[in-house]
Amino acid sequence: MITRRALLANGAKVAVGTVYYGTLASFLTGCGSSDDTSESTVVKVLPGGLMVVNPVYCVGCRRCEIACSWSHGTSAVSPSTARIKVDKNLNFGPHGVQPNYEDQRGEQGDGTIVPSTCRQCDVCMTVCPQGAIYVNETTGARVVDEALCVGCGYCADKCPQQVITIDSITRKSLKCDLCEGNPNCAQVCPTGAIKFYTWEDAVAAVEQHEKYLTLI
Amino acid sequence: MSSTYGGWAGNVLRVNLTTGQITTESTNKYHDYIGGMGIGYKVLWDDHVDGIKATDEENKLVISAGPLSGSGAICSARTTITSRNPVIRGHLITDGHFGGHFSPELKYAGYDAIIIEGKSSTPVWLKIVDDKVTLEPADSLWGVGVFDTFATVSKMMGQQAQVAAIGPAGENLVAQSTFQTQGGHSAGGHGSVLGSKKLKAIGIIGTGRVEIAESTTNEQLRALDDHILGIIGANNQGVVPKEPQSWAEYSGGSSRWRGGPGVTWGAADDPVILEETPWDDRQKVGMRTSMAEMYFGREEANKIFKRPGGCHSCPIRCFCELKNPKMKTEYNLPTEYLTNTCMGFLDPWYSMGKPGNGEKKTDIMTIGGYYMDDLAIWSAYGQLSHLMREFTKRSFWEILLPAEEFAAINWEQYANLDAHFMQDYYTRIGLAKSYNGSNYFGRFLGTGLHNFINDEGELYNIQDVLDGVETPRMAELTFALEADLEHDYAGKTYSVFLDEGTHVFNRSMVGGLHHASEAAGQVGALLATVFNRDPQCHSHINLINCGLPYAKIAEVAESMWGENAFDPVKHYTAMNVAKAKFAKWCLVKNVLHDSLTVCNWMFPLLVSPDVNKDYLGDSSIESQMFSLVTGIETSEQELDDKAERVLQLHRALTVLQMKEPDQRNNHDELCEWVYDMDPEAAFGDEGTIKMDRDDIQLGLDLFYEEMGWDKATGVPTRATLERFNLGYAADKLESLGLLPA
Repeated sequence: MITRRALLANGAKVAVGTVYYGTLASFLTGCGSSDDTSESTVVKVLPGGLMVVNPVYCVGCRRCEIACSWSHGTSAVSPSTARIKVDKNLNFGPHGVQPNYEDQRGEQGDGTIVPSTCRQCDVCMTVCPQGAIYVNETTGARVVDEALCVGCGYCADKCPQQVITIDSITRKSLKCDLCEGNPNCAQVCPTGAIKFYTWEDAVAAVEQHEKYLTLI
Repeated sequence: MSSTYGGWAGNVLRVNLTTGQITTESTNKYHDYIGGMGIGYKVLWDDHVDGIKATDEENKLVISAGPLSGSGAICSARTTITSRNPVIRGHLITDGHFGGHFSPELKYAGYDAIIIEGKSSTPVWLKIVDDKVTLEPADSLWGVGVFDTFATVSKMMGQQAQVAAIGPAGENLVAQSTFQTQGGHSAGGHGSVLGSKKLKAIGIIGTGRVEIAESTTNEQLRALDDHILGIIGANNQGVVPKEPQSWAEYSGGSSRWRGGPGVTWGAADDPVILEETPWDDRQKVGMRTSMAEMYFGREEANKIFKRPGGCHSCPIRCFCELKNPKMKTEYNLPTEYLTNTCMGFLDPWYSMGKPGNGEKKTDIMTIGGYYMDDLAIWSAYGQLSHLMREFTKRSFWEILLPAEEFAAINWEQYANLDAHFMQDYYTRIGLAKSYNGSNYFGRFLGTGLHNFINDEGELYNIQDVLDGVETPRMAELTFALEADLEHDYAGKTYSVFLDEGTHVFNRSMVGGLHHASEAAGQVGALLATVFNRDPQCHSHINLINCGLPYAKIAEVAESMWGENAFDPVKHYTAMNVAKAKFAKWCLVKNVLHDSLTVCNWMFPLLVSPDVNKDYLGDSSIESQMFSLVTGIETSEQELDDKAERVLQLHRALTVLQMKEPDQRNNHDELCEWVYDMDPEAAFGDEGTIKMDRDDIQLGLDLFYEEMGWDKATGVPTRATLERFNLGYAADKLESLGLLPA
């Protein structure tokens, strides 16, 4: 089994087409290492990559959310339907309002904004009872087939990053589709905080993001 | 969406705190007034009550967003707060604004505005979760600082809530108080209005959306966004870097393009060492402003600056997210982080006498900034701090305060530039009568200068005024500084209208100096005659401080308004029609921005950083955004006309509230110092910003003509009001004898 520490220590890369189990799967899906008891989760890495934000560079403008809205369906803008989530962690960080909120992340804490992005793991695909989520072979993105989606919300409930929403009007699942490999969120980010990483390059970026998910 | 257009949410929320009744009404009737400030002024006109004070139950307060807020349009997250303002003589109407993420959330919840009316008998806060709107008890929040209030309301609602609140200053009915939202964003003048209504906070969670017109495509929105990114500069539309960069033909001037080599986000967890920030590198747009060094100096800024911050949808980021560990270790604050910009830092610095860069200054600005925000104190664009500094310099406090109170203030700390002074200083202002001990000092500074001066700007005995003495004695203050000798003031009775150090600019309103004659000569001076508070107008600043050479700026100005529209700063020529047109244009655009609601600290964009565009910008961007978002194809002129309707209504409402048919002589006067400063210099000499009395009177003539106002009185004529479909305002003014014949 490859551990995260070992992976980083020996500079190993996540190879295209490789199947990983356990710890690394948890790492990529955002589960903490203390939860790494199961070997059952599988992340099948395919050509493509994922979006990751470096919180050091995020300036909290939410243009990524906006561009996401402008890139899918009608132009209506909403943080609820954007497939990247900034607003939830914006003011108080990933753990919400804590007694020592001044020391936690967020605008009301240490000023660090920690957006959540889809890591293109397989959880949503696995739990979907309709088989409505499939892999786009070109980008590797896990994509919702709206014709099959019934809006049951299993995917949203189980999403480790909590970045999937059921559209309140269409009742369809909304998740990151990597904009056909040309992600609009990254195009409009004014500091380059959010980037598209190939799987090979994603490990360090994900680890950097993970640092900001812990409680202080 | 209840309207057929994009942009507007479709509903206005009306909350009556006396009855507890909460209702919604359609936004459609406000479409002709755009939104934001336009809704505020229309509501206040429709619901006008004669002769009331800002803190009376009958006064209403409007919190409003425009059709662009939440749409994703660049820099569109301003929120406008409109109501009578107790800091203003006669408690006239003003609009304050904050940025942040509040107005987009309001729109996502389904509302364009909230009208607050009446007065609750007990403290309450307003909870908005989409269409579920309730008043909640706020007894446990009363007396709590703003930061903890944000946390408590968010804890109750959900961490994603956007919250705005008043602080102890507003609760204590301190006139100079704010209404604030998360991230250091505050709106001035109305904290005590909300305090009088016992409304502590508003929390919003909106899970809906801002619809864009069906006729608009995603590609069009992105294309306009790209177009704007090819024009927009740094904060205040600085389009050249402050210091040379290899890609830039020009540099310097007053540009706020500070991000570049030598600048470091040094307090970031992984310090970010900035390199060049070429204008066409879209992934460095958010780095170019990085303007902490403007306030703290580069050496200090590179230590404490964590990153730039700001509002929803803005790539420019004018806020400074700071980390000063001494806030915790030496000053015992619960945090070492602070975010703010401009007056949030400058007011404490002005108060302490404007010391030079260094740790002491850094501590003053961060500690002072913390207390100002936590207590929610409004500086009135520095008027509070200018008074503090000048009165200290003139040793007035010893005369004005009871001896025991004077002795209780730690003047040694003040003299030593010790930031510990900030705690007691701002606590006195914020707690007012609730302060533990004699506190004429804090009550004076927080009450609004107009209460303490006679028609000549001479001070009454402030203890008499604060004690409610019907005929207060005079304070018997005299000019006694060496600098007063050159004015021949020495030994004369002190007047704030003569002392340029106080920065009172509009004599009639006792309004503060804010980008006036020091910016664009008569243009800036005329801007200061119209609004009832300091003119928060940056339409001219966003051109003249762009950093391009004077000749280029003058060329742009001439193409817009005519020959000699813009003089070199501090080398002014006589008033002319072009300057009057320039001034009117600035005001119309300002009102447009506060109605849309977009940022007047960035727009309008008359210039660009792009040499291939010959550095020209695009003045029609606002109408392009409006057209795409709402689906109402609207030209720049058509949209400007809507904004001018709001501006004309503002003037009419001022006339109505003052019951004053002669605005020229009772609203639009400037202070003596504006004309009498630099006694050795004459108006027009290079190096002075002094104005000339006759020239400004000519300026008013020409400006009124552009505005369609009666030359003798400065009141809009019936023809003007009717041209903007404001015949109802003309009827009302005429019925009261307030309309020019």
